[in-house]
Amino acid sequence: MQSVVERVINLLIYLLESPHPVTADEIRRTVAGYDQGSDEAFHRMFERDKDVLRRLGVPLELKALDVWEVDFGYSVDPEQYAIPDPGLTNEERAALSLAARMVRIGEGDSGLQGLLKLGGVEQGIGMEPIGADLGLDAGILGELFKAVTERRRISMTYRGKERRLSPYGIAHRRGHWYLAGETEEGSRVYRIDRISGLELGDNAGAFDRPKNFSVRELMNSQPWESGDDAAVDATIRFDSDVGWWAARSLGQKPPDAGPFEVTLPVVNRDAFMGWILSFGDSVEIVAPEEMRVDLRERVSAALAGLP
Amino acid sequence: MTSERTVSRLSRILALIPYVLADEATGVHEIVERFGYTEEQLANDLNTVFVCGLPGYGPGDLMEAYIDEDEVVIDAAEYFARAPRLTPTEAISLLAAGMAISGSGQGSPELDSAVGKLTKVVVPDADKALSVDVSGESEMVGRLREAASGQKVVHIVYRSLSRETETSRDIEPWAVFTTMGNWYVQGHCRLVDAERTFRVDRIRDLQVRDETFARPDNLSEPGVGYTPSDEDIVCDISLSNRARWVLDYYPVEVLRETTNRCHIRFHSPDAEIPARLLLRLGGEAKLLRGEEVASRARELGNTLLAKHQ
Repeated sequence: MQSVVERVINLLIYLLESPHPVTADEIRRTVAGYDQGSDEAFHRMFERDKDVLRRLGVPLELKALDVWEVDFGYSVDPEQYAIPDPGLTNEERAALSLAARMVRIGEGDSGLQGLLKLGGVEQGIGMEPIGADLGLDAGILGELFKAVTERRRISMTYRGKERRLSPYGIAHRRGHWYLAGETEEGSRVYRIDRISGLELGDNAGAFDRPKNFSVRELMNSQPWESGDDAAVDATIRFDSDVGWWAARSLGQKPPDAGPFEVTLPVVNRDAFMGWILSFGDSVEIVAPEEMRVDLRERVSAALAGLP
Repeated sequence: MTSERTVSRLSRILALIPYVLADEATGVHEIVERFGYTEEQLANDLNTVFVCGLPGYGPGDLMEAYIDEDEVVIDAAEYFARAPRLTPTEAISLLAAGMAISGSGQGSPELDSAVGKLTKVVVPDADKALSVDVSGESEMVGRLREAASGQKVVHIVYRSLSRETETSRDIEPWAVFTTMGNWYVQGHCRLVDAERTFRVDRIRDLQVRDETFARPDNLSEPGVGYTPSDEDIVCDISLSNRARWVLDYYPVEVLRETTNRCHIRFHSPDAEIPARLLLRLGGEAKLLRGEEVASRARELGNTLLAKHQ
């Protein structure tokens, strides 16, 4: 009995070397490891091995062998199979090796595994005392990235609702992954960790991403800068003990001493109030008056909910 | 389904063969390090390759694979002259890793060009379709990383996350890392003589001292977990559906769920964090239990109301 590893390698060699698509039957008769067992055992084995090939990134295609589409054969195009050489220098591969070692996405090590296909982990890079955990399971990111790069429409469940969209881009911001895309109702951004039941459409190239689309630009804003509320400029004053902290989190230079006052454009009231109130009582909305009222109402509602 | 281990093993074999065929540096030691092998695993994989090949599977059909005087030799395997393409998961993991380090200001020109080249072969306009940003605090992060590399003691002025007080202390920084959107420095704190993790955005001032320290050998992987302790403040909160996002951001325990409310138990070292959260949630939350939290929330709320009259 041959091991799965041997059988899959032999299958892949046969598919890469065959000048024309080969039927399941030919594979069964030709490739070592398939020659025993019942029909049922063969089919189970073959299904599993095809799944392994796909998980390895092998572009396995099923093609009709005649115009009536009665018989089908499998093939792997050697050109589609092989990774295009990105032409990395040793220094570049070392830098990428270091980055892949420093950054973790979910539980797996897909980054390092990908690196092997590019010539392995460069030596002598040592360990750096810095790391990043980007959270989330890399599996769903891979599926979405496939949809984005191959321009396949997707359907998914998001907060209990079915959605269909053209996925334009993926971004990581403030500890979370987001998917940006176009739905029938307009452009939308979704938190990827809340997506379930993801399905990719069968057709690649099913939509065009607008030329001027850039997921970076779309996501480079504060939470209160994207929303549907009427635009308001809010002026806030932070007490001197938290002023430096607020200023830094806004990417501004903190004042040398005293309170920090700043005016911000707000189109998402909830996000803005949430941020303000995370400073406890060390903050005051100076203007406009209606926002002061809003804050008062929120705080009163909170106090009413205390036992 | 075939196990992940089998798939990883195959993936490594298919990456190893083209590397050895290209005949650069094929010393056993080099290969073992580069592909993350043990010598035994490498020998096993070569033995497997050795019995695979073209149909017929006679001596002339099989690949050659063996170790000859500390050199790895593979031959008669032209069909594997190039490695398979990156899977979408591998591609996004590698690109995201490169972008994360590059964007945090901790990269190098080589990393930038590597990400650029990789992007080109994965998808020409991937830079428009993928963006990873863990930046913020890049100056502080850079200085802390340098101190951790050089094992230099650092003096910090720190605003405690929960107590809203400022303290000065010397720390021995072991590692700098980011998770859940924040940067942290982990190390030994000399003020409390114990291991501590500090949020970098809460460090008001930082001075690298001349003094060096010895980093412990077997460091645990840095991470921010929260371990409940007996001295914790515990409160129960009922959330409306609009406030359910709290479950994603705080380490809470779900007590009971109905179609439109969710009851949670919140553990925290003091009352400040849950009190602020309650203010923020307004009418979307009700405190069910937790006297200290209630009184702190009342205090904060009343001060805010007075400020906004």
